[in-house]
Amino acid sequence: MAVPRSALVLSRALALQRAASSARSLSGSVRNSPALLYRTHGEPVQVVKLETLELPALGAESVLVKMFAAPINPSDINMIQGTYAILPDLPAVGGNEGVGQVVEVGSNVKTVKVGDWVIPKDAGLGTWRTEAVLNAVDLVTLPCDISVLSAATLGVNPCTALRMLSDFEHLKPGDTVIQNAANSGVGTAVIQIAAAKGLHTINVVRDRPDLVQLTDRLKAMGATHVIKEETLRRPEMKELFKLCPRPKLALNGVGGKSATELLRHLQSEGTMVTYGGMAKQPVTVPVSALIFKDVKVRGFWVTQWKRDHKHNEEALRSMLDELCSLIRTGKLSPPSCTEVSIEDFHKALDNAMKPYISTKQVLVM
Amino acid sequence: MMRRMMVTSLIQAELKFLGRSVSGQWWSRTQRPVHHCSGLVYREHTANIDTMRMEQLPMPGLNKRSVRVKMLAAPVNPADINMIQGTYPILCPLPAVGGNEGLGEVLEVGDEVNTLRPGDWVVPVDAGFGTWRTEAVCGEDDLITVPKDITVMGAATIAVNPCTAYRMLHDFHTLTPGSTVIQNGANSAVGQAVIQIAAAMQIRTINIIRDRPNCAELVKELQALGADYVLTEEEVMSSGLQHIFQEVPKPRLGLNCVGGISGGLVLSNLDYGGTLVTYGGMAKKPVHIPAKSLIFKNISLRGFWMTQWKRNHRQDKALLRSMLDSLCELVRSGYLRPPNCIQTPFPQYTKALHATVQPRQRKHVLIM
Repeated sequence: MAVPRSALVLSRALALQRAASSARSLSGSVRNSPALLYRTHGEPVQVVKLETLELPALGAESVLVKMFAAPINPSDINMIQGTYAILPDLPAVGGNEGVGQVVEVGSNVKTVKVGDWVIPKDAGLGTWRTEAVLNAVDLVTLPCDISVLSAATLGVNPCTALRMLSDFEHLKPGDTVIQNAANSGVGTAVIQIAAAKGLHTINVVRDRPDLVQLTDRLKAMGATHVIKEETLRRPEMKELFKLCPRPKLALNGVGGKSATELLRHLQSEGTMVTYGGMAKQPVTVPVSALIFKDVKVRGFWVTQWKRDHKHNEEALRSMLDELCSLIRTGKLSPPSCTEVSIEDFHKALDNAMKPYISTKQVLVM
Repeated sequence: MMRRMMVTSLIQAELKFLGRSVSGQWWSRTQRPVHHCSGLVYREHTANIDTMRMEQLPMPGLNKRSVRVKMLAAPVNPADINMIQGTYPILCPLPAVGGNEGLGEVLEVGDEVNTLRPGDWVVPVDAGFGTWRTEAVCGEDDLITVPKDITVMGAATIAVNPCTAYRMLHDFHTLTPGSTVIQNGANSAVGQAVIQIAAAMQIRTINIIRDRPNCAELVKELQALGADYVLTEEEVMSSGLQHIFQEVPKPRLGLNCVGGISGGLVLSNLDYGGTLVTYGGMAKKPVHIPAKSLIFKNISLRGFWMTQWKRNHRQDKALLRSMLDSLCELVRSGYLRPPNCIQTPFPQYTKALHATVQPRQRKHVLIM
């Protein structure tokens, strides 16, 4: 259940107060702060523990950040399980994205100042903690006039959505994008960003008891069509393509049969981009699609994009600016979140692993 | 308008025998056929290739822009069989003459033909020509010349498989000398062309073949063509390729004509950012790719279809010309030998057709 906005504002105010007082007591002394740590790889509910970490002294290039909120994403889970492509050294703090505020800066820091909201530039920083001493260069600022939840969930999923909509096919208003996992963090960002760009979206979700409510919710965000997986295989798709053009771009976060079905509906020379594999099955590509329809099957990893553009600050900045602009104009809302205090992390991790869970678990510090 | 359409369709019915390439021609009804040629015709799409018949086809006279060609040799490729079976994405209107590739010699040209002369060797620029016949009349634009200083076998088998190999080696990654390519179906016509063209480009090839009784012999044959490494699927599955990657860089280009497990073997050995290009599906199985390969290894899956490439470049033959020139140069310099074909006299076509649908048979080329 979402925490009411007023409570969040209050908790932010309290956090700032705490941060201010802790900053005064910081100089020269070592402090401890709570963090969610794992010392071995394994199931998160078993291996993640709330521990107290000693914060290092502030160096010339580092900043003290007071974390506000950090979501639990599937990739965070995979990192703890040890199945992710990049694994930090153990023991490690969980969490790869989240928003915090700079409360103190080292003597040589030029890129951020006290009071700035910051998110990590790269994965692996460990965001599930109340405070962190981090290198200033590992952080990028966000405007403070967006909600905490928007900021906390901006760096991974909306960035993935924007890049996939921009970097693979040249899409004009009126073009169609088809995607599965439409209800996911990436999926809902795709719906909204696509709608802002005048694109039709065909959104595939798994069948479920509250499908009607889900459909309404996605349509309210700007989804053109919402269909269940089974419909992809049915003749009704022909009717749907009388209402909007066949998609040039397909976005796959599932794999398996779902991905194969997306391919079937793709236009010739279209691209399917895979960003996730929730069904834990490979993507099956019929040979005829490759040879005769000239479809392109690609993948996307936002972390790799960030690393490839490490020395081009402008690229990341302009992407974040575009997303913040959409947020400010009401075109991009954060996902449905369930806010959980860091002390209740066990519940959050448990819920994050549940199938059909419709809200993102967000740890609030 | 209606009368013109009716007349056109009557004439087209008469011309259907002569292959798709002439269906756009406007013939005067007063020109009557002067003689017949033999052609291998199919009148229905069927898996039973024995229904193909050698028929006598009426040959029309020439018009201003058409040419008459004597066919010299035409191979039987898997795609030809698919077209007859009706399982190919482009199908000829029936009845049709089979065969998409082959070498002809120009016998006679129309008054306004200026790119071809009698005596020229020519190959069709598009699929659907219907090359399994002794003669053809077609438009000047339906053909492109090949030099006569290469062998008949070389010329008859240059326009589909070596071209496919050439394009795949050039259009997906810039491959510099010393880089590596991995492929399955290495024993196929395309596979052998890849080995030879790659060798000429100083690119190393890792070649995967199916196990078979006379494996060692095949390995030697492929090595003689320039293959750097030849392994069976079983060897790749059991020992992997790590030992090879200590000698050569990991490949960024993988070529797949099999699919299924074999496709997976090529895929899993690609370097970061690599591309798997699929040009065939001999195992009739799809390609499976783990999400991790797409997301974390940034592997791309693409396809290649020579026919589509030729159609995309139909209006400007310059690229086709330059590719054929490069390939003919490789033939002249001995880098590119025609596949080890069985030359089959045209009347014995049944043998050739059957061999193409059997596994592990050598390519048959019909000799007219």
